[in-house]
Amino acid sequence: MKGVLLSGGTGSRLRPITHTGPKQLVPVANKPVIEYAIQDLKAAGVTDIGIVLGHKGRTAIQELLGDGSAYGVDITYIIQGEPLGLAHAAGCARDFVGDDDFVMYLGDNILKAGIVDLIESFDAGEYDAGIALQSVDSPQQFGVADLDDDGTVRNLVEKPDNPPSNLALVGIYVFSPVIFDAIERLEPSWRGELEITDAIQLLIDDGCDIDSHVVTGWWKDTGKPVDILEANRLVLEDQTPEIRGQVDSGAEVTGSVEIDESAVIDSDAVVRGPVSIASDVNIKPGTYVGPYTSIGSNTTLANVHIENSVVIGDTTINANERIVDSLIGRGTTVESAAGSLPEGRRLVVGENSNLKL
Amino acid sequence: MRIITDTCSECGTVVAANELEAERIMQCPGLSCDAILRFADLPEDARRYFLNHHDEYEL
Ligand SMILES: [Zn+2]
Repeated sequence: MKGVLLSGGTGSRLRPITHTGPKQLVPVANKPVIEYAIQDLKAAGVTDIGIVLGHKGRTAIQELLGDGSAYGVDITYIIQGEPLGLAHAAGCARDFVGDDDFVMYLGDNILKAGIVDLIESFDAGEYDAGIALQSVDSPQQFGVADLDDDGTVRNLVEKPDNPPSNLALVGIYVFSPVIFDAIERLEPSWRGELEITDAIQLLIDDGCDIDSHVVTGWWKDTGKPVDILEANRLVLEDQTPEIRGQVDSGAEVTGSVEIDESAVIDSDAVVRGPVSIASDVNIKPGTYVGPYTSIGSNTTLANVHIENSVVIGDTTINANERIVDSLIGRGTTVESAAGSLPEGRRLVVGENSNLKL
Repeated sequence: MRIITDTCSECGTVVAANELEAERIMQCPGLSCDAILRFADLPEDARRYFLNHHDEYEL
């Protein structure tokens, strides 16, 4: 079994964060999203991984992941270029995959339960494809599967008015190489892309058996800022607390907190988990870091109350203000305007930013 | 739709034909690989197919 990890896309819904890098490198609990997928693949015994890259972030992703040896996997890069759809991305991996089965994983997805069960379910039968599904409240907004009693897929429907089930497609699939013949028979859809659901539907129409596996636990597509915050919350909820940094005697650190060995929590600072604090972070006196917050490396916080937020890193915040539900990009400085005249906020804000003052 | 790729003989990076055709001659996108990749290095039938179906390979 090989792995194909899709890491293209423009990340437009995550601007301005993605003006300077690909969405797959946005950190969740201080770890780039794509590393969760690599770990899931490795945990499932999939160590031969092809990473499909688009235009954006090609170099940054290669610089982070290298040849994969740091993760115990072997990585081949596949340059898709133009984003011509998931089936085109899969098709670009044909030579890499060869005659093996492969699991295809969207590089900006995180799921709690990993992919071991999905692969085991696929391997247990003579299937040509396996799809991961999850129950959703509004199936009308998703690709939805119609299943037999034994879980074999009868049909896939995109955003149906009358959904045959509430089981939506999660962005993780297992395929045998017959999928490549189906992809070759596809024509671009109305939006000019080769759709993977069309390729799977062709397999169904050919009489191939398609397995389905309902994912237990949460699944998150981290395409938007609110999704990053939600994924951060979900991952932090499950983290193993580990305080390795310096916590001064007058500091209050409670709950599930992970603190890097080079981080310093000063006296009169409060950290209330679940929280993750990365390397070279200094939480200064008078600061409150509340639940579901990740503070990225090389960051200094002073006097601020921050919770349910992600600070990506290389940031300084020194203001007696409350910051909640926020995603703060790298290299940001937030200071107090108190005492400055005329009174008011002073902003240097990047394109496509989103502020609530 | 036929999907055409080339594989860098130096580093193993796979490059889609649409990328090769857009650049014609390019340094391999594999990090720190100095190999030069050319659209012209694809087999003739692949090149002809690609050029005959050029519209399908762009959004
Ligand atoms: Zn190369």
